Amino acid sequence: MTKPLTLRWLGFKILLCLIILSTVMSVCSMIGTQKVSLPAVLIGLLDKQCQNTDYDIFVRVRVPRIIVAALVGAALAASGVALQAILRNPLAEPYILGISSGAALGAITAALLGASWRLWAGSPISAAAFLFALGTVWLVWLIGHLAGGSSVISLLLAGVVVNAFFSAVIMLLTNLLNSQQLRSTTLWLMGNITEKDFSTLLLSAILIVIGIFGLFILCHKLNVLTFGRAEAQSLGVNPRAVTLIAFALASLVTAVAVGLSGLVGFVGLIVPHSVRLVFGPDHRQLLPASAIIGAAFVVACDTVARTIIAPAQLPVGVITAVVGGPVFLLLLARSSRKLGGLR
Amino acid sequence: MNACIEVKDLCFAYRYGASILTNLNFRLDKGVFLSIAGPNGAGKTTLLNLLAGLIRPSSGSIIIDSKLVQSYSIRRLAAKVAFVRQEFVPVFDFTAAQVVSMGRTPYLGALAFESEADRKAITEAFEMTDTAQFADRPLAQLSGGERQQIFIARALAQQTPILFLDEPTSFLDMKHRVGIYDLLKQMQLEKQKTIVAVTHDINLCSQYSDMTLLLSAPASCCRKTAAGASYTFGPTDEILTAEQVEKVFGVETFSGKIGQRSFFLPLGKFTGERPDKTSAGENL
Repeated sequence: MTKPLTLRWLGFKILLCLIILSTVMSVCSMIGTQKVSLPAVLIGLLDKQCQNTDYDIFVRVRVPRIIVAALVGAALAASGVALQAILRNPLAEPYILGISSGAALGAITAALLGASWRLWAGSPISAAAFLFALGTVWLVWLIGHLAGGSSVISLLLAGVVVNAFFSAVIMLLTNLLNSQQLRSTTLWLMGNITEKDFSTLLLSAILIVIGIFGLFILCHKLNVLTFGRAEAQSLGVNPRAVTLIAFALASLVTAVAVGLSGLVGFVGLIVPHSVRLVFGPDHRQLLPASAIIGAAFVVACDTVARTIIAPAQLPVGVITAVVGGPVFLLLLARSSRKLGGLR
Repeated sequence: MNACIEVKDLCFAYRYGASILTNLNFRLDKGVFLSIAGPNGAGKTTLLNLLAGLIRPSSGSIIIDSKLVQSYSIRRLAAKVAFVRQEFVPVFDFTAAQVVSMGRTPYLGALAFESEADRKAITEAFEMTDTAQFADRPLAQLSGGERQQIFIARALAQQTPILFLDEPTSFLDMKHRVGIYDLLKQMQLEKQKTIVAVTHDINLCSQYSDMTLLLSAPASCCRKTAAGASYTFGPTDEILTAEQVEKVFGVETFSGKIGQRSFFLPLGKFTGERPDKTSAGENL
């Protein structure tokens, strides 16, 4: 038998992932439109008095942005893992449950109202997106529940229908926007990571870490839940409670990520998939490993996004989609071939 | 002596449907192998789900180990009763070892990592089912029979005094059917487990089980007016007689005996010449 999964063995694997993440983060912090010299940054760190552009760029612009990217990546990948387990579908991702359309609707509504109010996430667009994303997920959950108890299919269908309906409303509202509002929402819809102020970062980080840790505690129960509700119950897991809590945590971290960065697609799909190829399906290692690798993935994508057409910047969602789309199709082809072979 | 499973005046009906089970009563002692047999729609699986606490009875009570099923927490009940269903391929590529170790779920702590004792139970389950050679293979790569052995190993790792099986051999070939039932009998004899198996296979039921609960679908095809299914319960050789089987399943059969155990062969329209009934071991 292969080595059984113990806490120590898991810790070792997570440490390896963390080394990968910190390498990616430090390399990416050195890459940018503006060359930053490391000694200059260090001098700035020690001597706060002297004028030092290198230090300012590094600490005020680049590092916060990398942290935002890492948070977004970790959140999206972890909630992807959780939702795939709950829905018992390796091709599920946060956006399938209406999170994207809900967030987009929120963003457009905020832009339309031209609100100047501020919530924790800085701009009203992010705040509205966060609230709408969260609201939509729960609307989908409610509809799914009313339609078919808590069967997986009714939940998926509810997501599809809500997505379609909101898209129609979005089309309607888009026609009412002026060109300035349109540009800012479009940028946001494509997933756009920018540096955030410290308090926003801290609050987002706390919420995301709590969410991911909560999901981690549920991981073994998620393992059992992938065998179906009745099986889970016979093995001593309360399927209703676990589904509900995992769903709540996953929707929370996704909404925070959406509020931070807009819609960054495919991360919740391809990262868990790739990590599963290496680590296998056991969620106790799949979830933490996916969160860390997801963070590294988005940091790398964002670095590409802000340098590839320098001095202009691309939305990071474009890069994740360009990378993620083909990878997703590859995985889809692989998995349907596998299923086809079994039936 | 306390019965291990006791069912009193059990009734069940789906919310808008006809009643499936009415006034069912039986007691099962510890360490007994019970088969639940009957035609489609008689409520066999429903009964098993009721016994396992997955659905609630409309009225009546089910007592497992002198406690009402509903009064157990999900976790506590999972330490009493293990459940094996028809084998299937899980969505994610879990290996056999991972699946078997899930049997330990009711005993795991907060972070859910297996302890030394858990490991021991898992190894034992592999040894008893003779499946250690599959441990590292994903379930999708095993044959149906091997997969079902793994699910039974998982139930063994769960270390419950009671084991429920819902048509465990439906998709398996003859050899694996007998193999799985041999394994169940072995668990009954060596581990003194109480086994309740729902089966379509009246011959396996006759060969392996001590007691039989034969459920029959209501005679009328209109389930709404029917009074619900009736049943017979008792030692297998008293319940499974040629007349009973023909009556309950509504099909002509050829029956005979091997030692104390009866066997039944259904006869269809095209079976050809009917065997001579009187000479066909119909000596019950």
